[in-house]
Parts: sequence; structure tokens; C-alpha cells
Amino acid sequence: MRDAGMPRPASYYFLSFVFTLFVLFLYGPMICVYILSFQGPTGGMSFPMQGWSLHWFTVLFDGNGRGVGDIHNAFWRSMRMCAIMAVATMLIATAAGMSFRRRYPGSNFVFYSAIVSMILPGLFVGFGIALTFNIFGLKSDWWHSGLGAQLTWSLPFGLLIMFIVLGRFNPSYEEAATDLGANSRQRFLYIILPIILPGIIGITTAGFTSSYQEAARTSLNVGTGNTMPMELTALLGMATTPVMFAIGTLTTLFMFTLVIVTLVVVARIAKQRQLRLTRQSA
Amino acid sequence: MSKIKDKKSSSGISRRDLLKGAAAAVGTAAGSGAITGFPTIWAQNIQNVTLNHVGSVYTTNPLVAEEANKQLGFTINMQTLDTTSQMNRLLAQPETIDIADMGNPSLKYFVGKDTLMPIPINEYKWWDKTLPLWVDGTYANGEQASRQGFAPILSAYYADETGLEWSETPTDWLVSIPLVTNADTFGIRPDLINRPIESWAELFNPEFSGRVALQDGVNVGVPDAAMALEAMGDVQYVNKGNMTIEEIDKTIDKLIEYKRAGQFRSFWTTFDQSVQLIASGEVVLQSMFSPAVTEVRTRGIPCIFQGLKEGYRGWAISAMPLRHVTQDPLKRDCVMEYLNWMNSGWYGAYISRTGYYTSVPDNAKPLMTENEWGYWYEGKASTDDIIDPYGKVMEKAGVVRDGGGIWDRMGNIAIWNTLMDEDRYLVRRWQDFIAA
Amino acid sequence: MTFSPRAASWLQATPFMLIMVFLVIVPLVIVFVASFMDYGFAEVIPVLYWGNYLDIFRSRLTWDLYATALRMLVIVWTVTLLLGFTIAYYLIFHVRSNFWRAIFLMACAIPFWTDGAIRMISWVPLLGREGLVNQALMGMGIIEQPISWLLYSEFSVVLVYINMLTLAMLGPIANSMGKIDYSIIQAARDQGAGEWQIITNIIIPLVRPGIAIGSIFILTAVMGDAFIVKMMSGNQVNTPAGAIMTEIAAFQYPPAAAKSVVMLVLVIGVVATILRVVDIKKELAR
Repeated sequence: MRDAGMPRPASYYFLSFVFTLFVLFLYGPMICVYILSFQGPTGGMSFPMQGWSLHWFTVLFDGNGRGVGDIHNAFWRSMRMCAIMAVATMLIATAAGMSFRRRYPGSNFVFYSAIVSMILPGLFVGFGIALTFNIFGLKSDWWHSGLGAQLTWSLPFGLLIMFIVLGRFNPSYEEAATDLGANSRQRFLYIILPIILPGIIGITTAGFTSSYQEAARTSLNVGTGNTMPMELTALLGMATTPVMFAIGTLTTLFMFTLVIVTLVVVARIAKQRQLRLTRQSA
Repeated sequence: MSKIKDKKSSSGISRRDLLKGAAAAVGTAAGSGAITGFPTIWAQNIQNVTLNHVGSVYTTNPLVAEEANKQLGFTINMQTLDTTSQMNRLLAQPETIDIADMGNPSLKYFVGKDTLMPIPINEYKWWDKTLPLWVDGTYANGEQASRQGFAPILSAYYADETGLEWSETPTDWLVSIPLVTNADTFGIRPDLINRPIESWAELFNPEFSGRVALQDGVNVGVPDAAMALEAMGDVQYVNKGNMTIEEIDKTIDKLIEYKRAGQFRSFWTTFDQSVQLIASGEVVLQSMFSPAVTEVRTRGIPCIFQGLKEGYRGWAISAMPLRHVTQDPLKRDCVMEYLNWMNSGWYGAYISRTGYYTSVPDNAKPLMTENEWGYWYEGKASTDDIIDPYGKVMEKAGVVRDGGGIWDRMGNIAIWNTLMDEDRYLVRRWQDFIAA
Repeated sequence: MTFSPRAASWLQATPFMLIMVFLVIVPLVIVFVASFMDYGFAEVIPVLYWGNYLDIFRSRLTWDLYATALRMLVIVWTVTLLLGFTIAYYLIFHVRSNFWRAIFLMACAIPFWTDGAIRMISWVPLLGREGLVNQALMGMGIIEQPISWLLYSEFSVVLVYINMLTLAMLGPIANSMGKIDYSIIQAARDQGAGEWQIITNIIIPLVRPGIAIGSIFILTAVMGDAFIVKMMSGNQVNTPAGAIMTEIAAFQYPPAAAKSVVMLVLVIGVVATILRVVDIKKELAR
């Protein structure tokens, strides 16, 4: 811990206050979502609350109410896509990030194409991809065009995360390993990988969550079967009930658990590394 | 014998051979919704046929899909998409869709494109029972229906089997199977307005400054605005639903004036937004859909779908098969089967209970209770609770539907949802409007 | 099997490249070509047509669109920079335990794990005339009538941008701050530097790469967004991205393509300038 034991400067209290305000600001709409998901059965999407109940949660699991649409299937489809996306993003972005450690012809191209991919409106990329597939006579389905379309969104972010993570990376570790006779595979496995592991996990999580949220590029390329964001967007057009808020609360809980688990895993890895180091130096 | 077994139907399915040309028998099972007579295709391999139906959020959902799959021998794969995504799929990858349903103005995008399959009139069983709005463009009393905007009759028939041109007079080739229609108007909060509203012109009444809303978009929002502008006397139109360039300019310029004066609160895009706006009292008068009005009411908030003296805005959704389906004769038969099923009764009753009119009411009537039929179609007061397809109570006894019976509303259409010839110019000027 | 370093780089970048080329570059080329074409009802007519670009460069609309977008961008960038920097500074330099730092960071990220659609609609019960904020303000006696410009206005768009994008600025800045060798700070303190001096003379220069990356995020997010601006303004504010979306929804692809090309050129230009000022790639090459 830094400065452990030293007294706190006045700025600390001021900044803590700012931070608290900020968190409240971030959570503003979410608080509405959480509260309204407990809306009474006759209630609507805004205040005032008409009683408190778990009614909308039961409707959600029941699967038959108005405003539920095909959420169940859409959810599992999304989960499946997200999992694959997370892994794919992680592998491809990590490899690409690693490639940037040297100057090579074409590196600018890679970088700028990532930027371009991020700023092109999703709908355009989606339509462009659909049209391309059509011209080449391929049918669109979730596991190639749908996935590909989402990757155009998640990979640039993954790459940028890699930039950040590798930017922190102290090359002297690697040099020391080389001096000790490690070849490139050993260098990667034993030096580089453990250090960038948090970054990789970050990319995986980012891949997962960005896939879950992404609607514009996916909808045109996923073939039949909606993903969650698509289903929700479609539902918003017809009938909405606080079921949506119930979904919001539940997905938050779900993601919360997911990240706690991730953090625990990362902490474990860090601790094991510490143990290994102290054992070795003992 | 075919491997296809009767699927859980209570009153027994009798199967007729479609090839023999026998008509299906419509059973009566009051309230239970079981229809006899389907499937009428007798083939062992239709079990393996899967049809992809992509449609709007009003016409596709798991409840309907479940029933369709129960009653037909093949699989229906329903997907709900917003209009833009659906159109993009239809244009870029038509072979991924077998049947599409959409509002009839969108049909204009397909003229001359050979994407859709013309339907031979003799293969569709219910054309004679279809509402005359489609059959010959008249109201029930024989009067010609309004042609302002995109009236259904304009895209009901193809000139011939090539499907390249439309015909305004009946032919043997249908463009689509009509599914749903309704008449829209303003939804209002009578408790916040406290006086009768009678005219579209009230949209621009300064009394409601900052408290009105329209649907965003040129196919619905602009017709509503045009109705209001005409009622105010601000602009004169030849055909509000198909404006000339000068009319468009005048309309947009007037709208920009009102926008800058702060007349509008918002332009909603989704159903939910329209409900939110008026339920929360942000808005007291806005363009709305009928189920949205009902939704507001089920929350205990007074809301009326107010009939206005200038008339209603009408719209229609229909289903059309895609051309590529003809390459597989078995699939094509299944598609026709499905289309016939859609208007054979169960689906029509379902649609009616959500507040829209089915195109073949006679088939839906036996499956609805007298109370329901009276309330939804005849403009009579309800004698009991009116329940929606999911079991929620929409109205109690003793309530009359806003606007009255089907022909009080559908017989008083001033303008239809539209896609104008000058759509390109209109969209360009609409951009100016939003940026103002 | 040994590779030359350059070949290794190429191999590592290949999967990424393939996806980018086929799924971004190729569609981009199609978009570029389409921008020069004429159009009918949901059809692109393949004749050379300059009308789309002529309209863009001649009409008042383009000016209005970019002015609005720029106005919002500047406000969002300034606020997110200040907020992001402040919070990052707090988290890295004031929060002492790693555990709490992680918790705080997670707390900031949790709201983003709910669907965008749901988060969008939840602003209404917060900002509407009958919403929580207005009720709170009236309850505290600060205002008499509910404020209507909290929602369906440029204000609400900017507010939502700030809410959603501060994290995008905070993250890279925090990361850059984390890289600073703490002994430098200690040395400065030992020499008697005050906190503010440390911030301006040491920290800010050293986190420039983080600020640059964050700025790129903000720029691309705001310029590329059509959903938030339309939804939060009730379709009453138009930006270049919003205009593109309106045209796509009306199936008028060539003018949308032309607007996209123009926007892309402008944004890439700005990004390139940012990268010239702060070379983040220098951080990576050996």
C-alpha cells in the first residue's frame, strides 16, 4: 500500500466527495430501473409506483406475457454468441496487439482500419457486410456473418486495450529472460503472458459485453433468430412493460457475479505468482 | 398413411387432400380456438419443411408461432424485426426469408424488382370475404374509400403474373394477403385537457404548446401533420398523401415555424415512447396507436383515442411470399397453406383482441365471444370484461370502444399511411426540419 | 520453427487483418462507390451522380449538422476530461488499497452491463416533467414548475453522453497514471512540491497518451452515434450521424454513403492530428 500510515491530505476528502457524486450520477438511471422492476402489476414504465411486487420477474420467467416476446430464446442466442465472441476477440486482438511490438510495413494500415471500424456507424457496416455476402453468394448466419459483424466492433476495442496493456509492459523483463537463454515460446509463456493476463481477461470481458450490447451490425447479419438487443429493440416498438426493467436488474446481477468471479480468479493468479516468486527467492 | 399425426387438437382434425381441391371445414369451438381443417396438405415430407416468416412486432410473436406450429404440419420460424432491418434483409438477402409482412406503403419499394411472388387469386380461400377496402377499394356502404395516401386498393392486385406492375382494378393476381388494418387518430388525455377535442387542428393550438407529439418519420408523422395543417387552413393540398414539391416545402416550412415556437415536446419512434409520453402527462395530445391507448388505460390513466371530424388515418399490414419460394414446389404449397391459415380464424381473433381489425372478420367471428365481437367490431358497449390475448383485463363491462364500430372508423378514412412519389425530396426536407 | 521478427508480426496480425479487410475495408469501398450513385425507391442506380456530394457541400444543412455535433462534442469532451482526470487521479493516487480501487472501478462499470435499450428508456422516469429529478428539485423548493428542457433537448443528449462516456476517458487516463513511476512523485514531494504542482508539472505531461486515447474514444463515440441523439432529443436534434441514420431508414443509401464518407474523412483527419501530437505507437515499438 502506498503511503500507508500517512495522514490524508484535505484534497482526499474533497475528491472522495466528487467521486461519490459521480457514482450517484452514473447510477441515476439504473436506480430507476432497479426500483421500477419491482413495480406493481398494474404499474407502468414510470413513476409513481403502483405497489411493490415481484410480478414482473415472474412474468419474465413465465415467458408468455405481452412484452416478453421471444426473450428466452434471444437470451440464450446472445449468451452463445457472446461466449464465442469473447474467446475470438481475445485470441485475435491479443495476437494483433503483440504484432505491434515491432515496426512493420502495414502496421499503420492495421491500426487505422481498426479506428475506421469503430467510427463507421454500425448500421452501415452491417449493411455493407450483408451486401458483400450477398454479392459473393453466401448466406448469412450467426456463426459466420453475425460473428464477423460483431468482431468488427469488438476487435478495435480489444486492440486498444492491448496497446494500453503492452504500453505498461517493461521490456527489461523480457531482455533478462533472453539473456538467461529463453527462446521466444518460453518468453511468451512465462514472461509476457502472465503480465498481460489481466489485459487479456479485460479483452475477453469487453468482447463479451460489447457483443451482448451490439445491435446495429448484428441484426443484418445474424440470419434468423434475434439476439437480446435485437429482441428488446423490436419489443420496444410494440408493448413494453416493466418486464424490461426486471431484465435490467437481473442482467446487472448476472454481470456483477461474472465480474466478481473474474476478479477472484485474477487475484488468485496474482497471489500464486507472488507465492511462486517468494518460494523461488527463498 | 402419412406420418403426420393429429397434433393435440381437441375436436379432431380432418385432413383433406389439397390436390383434390377440397375446401377446409371451419370448426366451431367457442373460446378454445381450435380450428379444424388444417393441415390440408397431405404429404409425408412437409414435416421437414421450415418456413421463415419475418414480420412486424404487431403480427409476429411466440404465441402466434406456437399456435401455427401446433395446427400446421410444418415448422414456422417467426422472427420479429424492425422495418429497416427487415427491408435490408429483403433487399440484400431475400432467400433467407420465405414470408414477410409489412405495412402496405413499403410495397412501393418492391415494384419492378421481382422479389415478391404474385399470388394466384384462386389459391387464396378468403378473398371474397376480405374487407372491401382491398377487394375494390370501397367502404361497406359501397362508397369509394379515400385515395389520399396509400390506399390498400392501390397495391392489391398485380396487372399480370409477372408481378411487375400494379393494377387498380381487380385481376387474378394478388400482391399480398391482407392481415391487419386499423384507423388511427390522436390519443388525448381528457383529464388534462378538460374540453372536447374535435379537429386535427388542435395539434397546433398554442394552448398545448410544448405538450404535443407526433410520430417521427415521413410515413406517419407527416400525414398527421398534414391533416392538422389542412384543418388549420395553413396549407392547401391536392393529395395530402402524395404531395407535390411545393406542398412539401410549405408543409416543412410551417412545421419548422411551429417547432421553433416550441410547440412540440417530442417525436416518438417506439410504441413504448408514445405510451410513456402520454401516461406521464408530458404530452396531452399526440399521434398514437390503438393498443398504446389501451395500455395507458390499463394503468388507470384516462386516455381516449379521439375521433376527429376530418376523419382518421388508416393503415394496413399484409403478408407476402417471396419469389424464390416457387423454386421448391413443396415449400410453395406450405407457404400458401400458411397464408390461408393466417386468415382462417384463430389469428384473426388474436389480432382483434389486440385492438386491430383482421382483414377477414367473418372467419374470426365464430372464435370470439358475443361480448368481444360487439365491443371490437360493432361499437356496442361491453357486457363483460374485455381480455387481451395474454389474459390481462383491458376494459370492464359497460364501455364503448372509442370511435364506435368498424365502419364508423374504417369508413371515415381521410388519409392512409403513405410513401410519396417525392419521398426523396421529403426526406431531405425532413432532415432540415429535425435540424431546425 | 523460427520466424524472423517481422514475419512473426505479420502472422500475429493476420487474423485481425483478414477480418478488417473483408468486413470493414470491403464494405467501406462499397459505401464509397455507392456515394457516387443515384437512387430510387430502395434501389441504387449505378450511374455516376454527383448530386449527393453537391448537396452536402452546398446546403446549409451540412453546416447545421456539424455545428450541432461539434458543439456537443466540445462540451462532452471538456466535461469528461475534467471528470475523468479527477476521478482517475483520485483512484490512482488517493485510494491506497488495491482492493478498494478494484471495487470502485467495478462500481463504475456495472451500469454498463445492462442492455442499452433498457438504459435508454430509464432516463425518462428520471428526467421527465414528472420524473425523479424534477420532483426532487421541487421538493427542495428550488423550482416551482418542472423544468422541461431536462429531457428531449440537446441538454439531455449531452448529459447522457457524459454519463456513458466518462468511463471511456477515465480508463485510459487511469492506466497512464498507473504507469507513472512513483519514485518520481516522491522525489518531487521531497523537494517540496505541492499537490497542485505535482499534478500540473508531472502527472499531466506523463498521461498525455491516456488523454489522447480517451479523446479518440470520445470523438468517435459522439460523432458516430445516432441512437442516443435521436432518442434523448425526441428526434428534435440532428447531427451528421443522425442524418445518415434517417436516410438509411428511408432506404436512401447513396446520400447516406456520401455523408458517411465525408464524416469518415473528417474524423480520421482529427484522429491523425491527435496522434501526431501524442505518439502512442512509440510506446509499443521496441
